[in-house]
Amino acid sequence: MSSTALLADLSALVGDTAALAVDPAAPLVDPAHGAATPADFMAARQQMAFTLGFHIILASIGIGLPALTLLAEWRSLRTGDRVYAELARRWMKAAGVLFAVGAVSGTVLSFEMGTLWPGFMDKYGQVFGAAFALEGIAFFIEAIFMGVYLYGWDRLSPRAHFVTGIPVVIAGLLSASFVVTVNSWMNQPRGFKLVDGKVTDVDPLAAMFNPATPVQAVHLILASLMVCGFIVASVYAVALLRDHRAGRVDRYHRLGFAIPFTLGAVCAPLQVAVGDWASRFVADNQPIKFAAMEGIEHTQEGVPFKFAFIEIPNALSLMLKFDSKATLRGLDAFPEDVHPPAEVVKTSFEIMIAIGMALLALAAWWGFAWWLRRRAALRSGALSKHHDLPWKPWFLRAASLAGVAAAIAMEAGWTTTEVGRQPWIVYGVMRTEEAVNPNPGLRFGLYIVLVVYAVLAIATISVLRRMRRLPPEPEPAADTPAPRPAADAPAPRDDREEAGAR
Amino acid sequence: MSHPDIALGLILLGLSAYLLFGGADFGAGLWHLISPRRSDKDVIEHAMGPLWEANHVWLIFVMVMTWTAFPPVFADIMAAHWVPLSLAVLGIVARGSTFVFSKAVPDQKAYAWLFGVSSVVTPFCLGAVATTVATGESTWLSLSGIYGGVLTTALCAYLAAVYLIWDARRLADADATLRFRGYALLSGIIVGLLALPGAAALGVQSPLILVSAASGIVSLALVLRRNYLAVRVTGALAVVTVLWGAAEMADLDLDSAAAHDAALQVVFVALGVGALILVPSMTWLYVLFQRSEPRPR
Repeated sequence: MSSTALLADLSALVGDTAALAVDPAAPLVDPAHGAATPADFMAARQQMAFTLGFHIILASIGIGLPALTLLAEWRSLRTGDRVYAELARRWMKAAGVLFAVGAVSGTVLSFEMGTLWPGFMDKYGQVFGAAFALEGIAFFIEAIFMGVYLYGWDRLSPRAHFVTGIPVVIAGLLSASFVVTVNSWMNQPRGFKLVDGKVTDVDPLAAMFNPATPVQAVHLILASLMVCGFIVASVYAVALLRDHRAGRVDRYHRLGFAIPFTLGAVCAPLQVAVGDWASRFVADNQPIKFAAMEGIEHTQEGVPFKFAFIEIPNALSLMLKFDSKATLRGLDAFPEDVHPPAEVVKTSFEIMIAIGMALLALAAWWGFAWWLRRRAALRSGALSKHHDLPWKPWFLRAASLAGVAAAIAMEAGWTTTEVGRQPWIVYGVMRTEEAVNPNPGLRFGLYIVLVVYAVLAIATISVLRRMRRLPPEPEPAADTPAPRPAADAPAPRDDREEAGAR
Repeated sequence: MSHPDIALGLILLGLSAYLLFGGADFGAGLWHLISPRRSDKDVIEHAMGPLWEANHVWLIFVMVMTWTAFPPVFADIMAAHWVPLSLAVLGIVARGSTFVFSKAVPDQKAYAWLFGVSSVVTPFCLGAVATTVATGESTWLSLSGIYGGVLTTALCAYLAAVYLIWDARRLADADATLRFRGYALLSGIIVGLLALPGAAALGVQSPLILVSAASGIVSLALVLRRNYLAVRVTGALAVVTVLWGAAEMADLDLDSAAAHDAALQVVFVALGVGALILVPSMTWLYVLFQRSEPRPR
């Protein structure tokens, strides 16, 4: 471990990044562990990034889809409408498959903690271990109730069945939050002291509730809900476009779109506010990451806001400090050997912002149309064709891209925070290359993982596509409204307006 | 008992549970792969969980406990054996995903095949690593590593066969019951022939060997006498004592590796509170599964 004397009192250190200047004489690599080759080191980072990036999508769906399922089931219980029940049943089945894939891709990550980053686990495993124990418990609760929910669909009363879904959602949110505490701890390490390079005074709760935890947890959970909402909605947006071309109106597709899209649309503006909070937090606590994100090369007064080709003088200083003349630290305020790869950080940050704004605009379109429709319904008591939700091709085309876009934004945001923390695995305390497995050949592991995950992704999507074609639940003899037939079968025309404004 | 002692006890408990439950799942996958008969496969599919492979929770539990309680031990084992452990976890990925895929779309034969193959690869790799660690060998491709892999896979197959006899009988499939009885006898004899000379060759001198051998012989007798419920207990004992014997042989230097008590305290409290929620909900899940008749909604 390098520069231990400097780091004896960590809490003092993290507040003051000037102290981050590492002792240039200290070796970058722990001599006890030897060193990985640069190629293996990069491979380890890429493997972690890739497998985490894969898992994060499944985890997002794992958090969001049970919530969507419950929303649909709740509407079905309230209205007795079979379309809602059919949506809930299909989403539940998809959630079951994706949950299983997410469970195994999460298992991979816990192995990689040790096979790729043994130096990190060796030293700090005990500091954040409790967070993983809590995450494991929450995950197990989620899994059990997921089993009850899936298996109890036709074995419990509808009301009891709905109630068993609630712990799935709560435990999913908790398990995500516990995992995020570990990442926020890597950005804001707390809850231990270093004495002669040894970890002492371990306080797992202080580690979990580090200052970065609230903002990171909220930011990630909102991102998950947006990703899930927009991905599910985009599937139905494609179906609605097909309906539009065929000149039919399909209530199943419309509701299948409206529920998840509304979830994403509600989260989008909240996420902009939380994103602002996150940027301010990073500016205060990891100024070098902030400098990389905003592309501030030199420490200066009145920093302009630069985005792609746009440049607004003094705007960044004004936005951040509410003072157009405020001084912001640039990359040159920090020694070269603690600089993150600034271009990657800046580009991924810009991608996230651009997509976030586009999704916000789409959400506003949806919200405005909904408001107009509601107002018209309240005034005249009836809905006219002019005041419908935007089932127009342009809106649907944009919405059908929103799912992929939201996922890209999430990955870009993840890249921003992870690459922006480099060269540290634990900010200011342990460099990433000190943590990597020194054994040779890690890059071959990466190649195999890439192949396996490519097959896994293709298989998962093809299974979901085939499940979509399975016939719907046989209809009971009761005189409830007819459920729609299988997605690919010709649907009957159904021009009834949904009574959305009730 | 000190905190590290409790942690070690919990880790061993978790490993035992993983071997007894997760191991049986692996073994079931092996029989699913090699049995040509549809009725055998039906029994296996019926016996396994409805959703995903919940028994991997035990593995996660063991890993989290190890890295929290004995971080250097975790780091050293994972770093040194990253190749077989990566293969094992890719096997878990293949198993876990093909398990749900083949339930969701039953007509895809490739999923069932991959499920079977990964059911063999994963216990082999995990067993090879465990044996390498226990014997202090340097690589899993050493003779003792390969021996450990084969033994572990055989133990899993034996456990699965023993458990599946009862499952087949519950499904009132007399032919499958008899076949799994045959598999249990066959794999039981193979495991005995593998384990006892192996223990002698590796110089294991523990009374646990005698317990294991005795319960193995009793199990064979019970299977012959068609006492399928009691053999679940003695068969499990014969298997789990092999693990305990290996743990005794490993004799890892845990004292110098132990984490601070404060770190472990939080974990223990979390586990205690978690158990209060987990145990009743798990029980309810099992009760619900027993109530097998669905009613239309």
